[in-house]
Amino acid sequence: MTNSINDLLARHTLIFTIVVIIFSLFITFFSEPYGNGLISTSFVKTLGKTVCLCIIALAMDVVWGYCGILSLGHFAFFGLGGYMIGMWLMYERTAIIVQEAATNELLPLTETELSNAIGNQIFGVVGGYEIPSIWMFADSLGLQLILVIAVPGILAFIFGWLAFRSRVTGVYLSILTQALTLALSLYLFQNDSGLRGNNGLSGLQNIPGIEYLGQEVISIGFFWASCIFLISIFLLFHSLMKSKFGLIITSIRDNETRVRFLGYNVEIYKLFIFVLTAIISSIAGALYYPQAGIINPAELAPIASIYLAVWVAIGGRGKLYGAIIGAAFVSLFSSWFTGGQAPDIPLGIFTIEWVNWWTVLLGFGFVIITIFSENGIIGFLRNIFVKEK
Amino acid sequence: MNTLLKVEKISVSFDGFKAINSLSYSIGKNELKAIIGPNGAGKTTFMDIITGQTKPDEGKVLFGERSVWLESDQRYQVVWDENLLMKSESQIALIGIGRKFQRPTVFELKTVFENLFISMKKNRSPFSVLFQKLNRDEKNLIEKILGEISLKNEQDRIAGELSHGQKQWLEIGMLLTQEPKLLLIDEPAAGMTSNERRQTVEILKKLSADKSVIVVEHDMEFVKDLECEVTVLHEGSILSEGSIEHVSSNNEVIEVYLGR
Repeated sequence: MTNSINDLLARHTLIFTIVVIIFSLFITFFSEPYGNGLISTSFVKTLGKTVCLCIIALAMDVVWGYCGILSLGHFAFFGLGGYMIGMWLMYERTAIIVQEAATNELLPLTETELSNAIGNQIFGVVGGYEIPSIWMFADSLGLQLILVIAVPGILAFIFGWLAFRSRVTGVYLSILTQALTLALSLYLFQNDSGLRGNNGLSGLQNIPGIEYLGQEVISIGFFWASCIFLISIFLLFHSLMKSKFGLIITSIRDNETRVRFLGYNVEIYKLFIFVLTAIISSIAGALYYPQAGIINPAELAPIASIYLAVWVAIGGRGKLYGAIIGAAFVSLFSSWFTGGQAPDIPLGIFTIEWVNWWTVLLGFGFVIITIFSENGIIGFLRNIFVKEK
Repeated sequence: MNTLLKVEKISVSFDGFKAINSLSYSIGKNELKAIIGPNGAGKTTFMDIITGQTKPDEGKVLFGERSVWLESDQRYQVVWDENLLMKSESQIALIGIGRKFQRPTVFELKTVFENLFISMKKNRSPFSVLFQKLNRDEKNLIEKILGEISLKNEQDRIAGELSHGQKQWLEIGMLLTQEPKLLLIDEPAAGMTSNERRQTVEILKKLSADKSVIVVEHDMEFVKDLECEVTVLHEGSILSEGSIEHVSSNNEVIEVYLGR
């Protein structure tokens, strides 16, 4: 019955995997360390970051496009992942620098002096030298990696449990998730939050222990890690959504009451999806920020999560490809237009400068695409090429 | 005869309006009963209470009567399996109460087969569902139910494409795959052609062979064809109970309902 469709889908995942791997090899063979250097290291970083954005777009698509929860807070989880890995990167690197400097001293430093010196290096900008207690695991990569999963996971669990249990749905839930994001962002802006306030964490591109490799090589490494993670998440979501579980998730989106009266505990299913996608967003963030080099609270601002929803809507909700296409195109266009490369359009007395006018273009594009094709670019292409049965 | 569901003196009011007023009702195992009443009589609220969507202000809703032999007292004592007021909608559904809504409520974007597959009686925890596949017995069961609801040839169609009457049957089919003990069916004949109506009567009668069924209807003719005990609701309480001939000859009933 559905065998031919399943075959096609199975082939789709294979095609996807092959395309991403060929793309990664292509980039590698034109990169500075492994090829003729046609593609600059900074562009490799841009591509690697874009791949991470595709991963969070996949998560957004599952939570919104498949499960019907319009979360305007998933970028907060992305940022949290960045902070968690950033703490280790910054602490460890500062510790190495401080220890190297200390070898030149006549008297060896005591533990306290060493700790204060590290603290002063990191927290000097916010007027302090004591290392806050939330940094207690920062000297261990393993523990911070666990926190990358645990912190957003627990936050999403508590928030989701309270919200879903009280049957908060639709636009009210969206507002709540946005409030959560705003609260988190405002908290991080404070100097005494223990995460360097509006300075954020910086120097994250320098990976302690392997700095001698140089940015050209490290950027390729992160690019590959991001691509492999993208493929894994695509395969994971694809098989999840193809299973009976996926059938129930989309049923919850289409008719929550019916699912409930069939005996399914809708809240548990929503919570499962919410926490799973939060964790995946966080891991994507942990891959993104070492490539970006800096994270600050502005990254977590609600607007980022709204952009995320826009990408998914433009690409096409409810199709995994849609999310990837939306995120990749819009974020690449965005960095092209706002990076000053796009040629300005002189109109006599008035010049369209894309740096300022990009959001207007994006807004128009969003309106036009959603008016003409409810399911975004993918829906538009499917209408043309695939004859629905 | 063992009672399957017993509702005792329930009352509920919304903003001062008494939707249900000290209502008592019961249904036995494998019994078919009908409830009729004009708009606003409290029929839907009554179903909401049984299925856990609305909590009553007072009263009891008990499910599954059993007699237990008390060794110490040398006598039988009546116990109930479940107190429905303590349960959520999904728990009540799992206990064995299926509900068909007034408007056909099926998953419109999924195929008829998938609709039945989702409703299949199986472990409903997310972790178990991740790995559930359809085995041969279950496939046969779905085929059998497809036959019972006359949708055998439509199984691969998207449910949204079905006619109104077919959707009603599909929803009944979804309740059947749940294997409930009690079915609550809200206005099954609404918007059906007379042919579909006749078929629906047959389906409902067949169901009551091994299930208890409560049908809520507007349409007197349809209820007459069901040939079962009828309860007339009015302003949240029972006006009359008995055979259709009995209730339709009751003057009060004629006044509030049939007379209009």
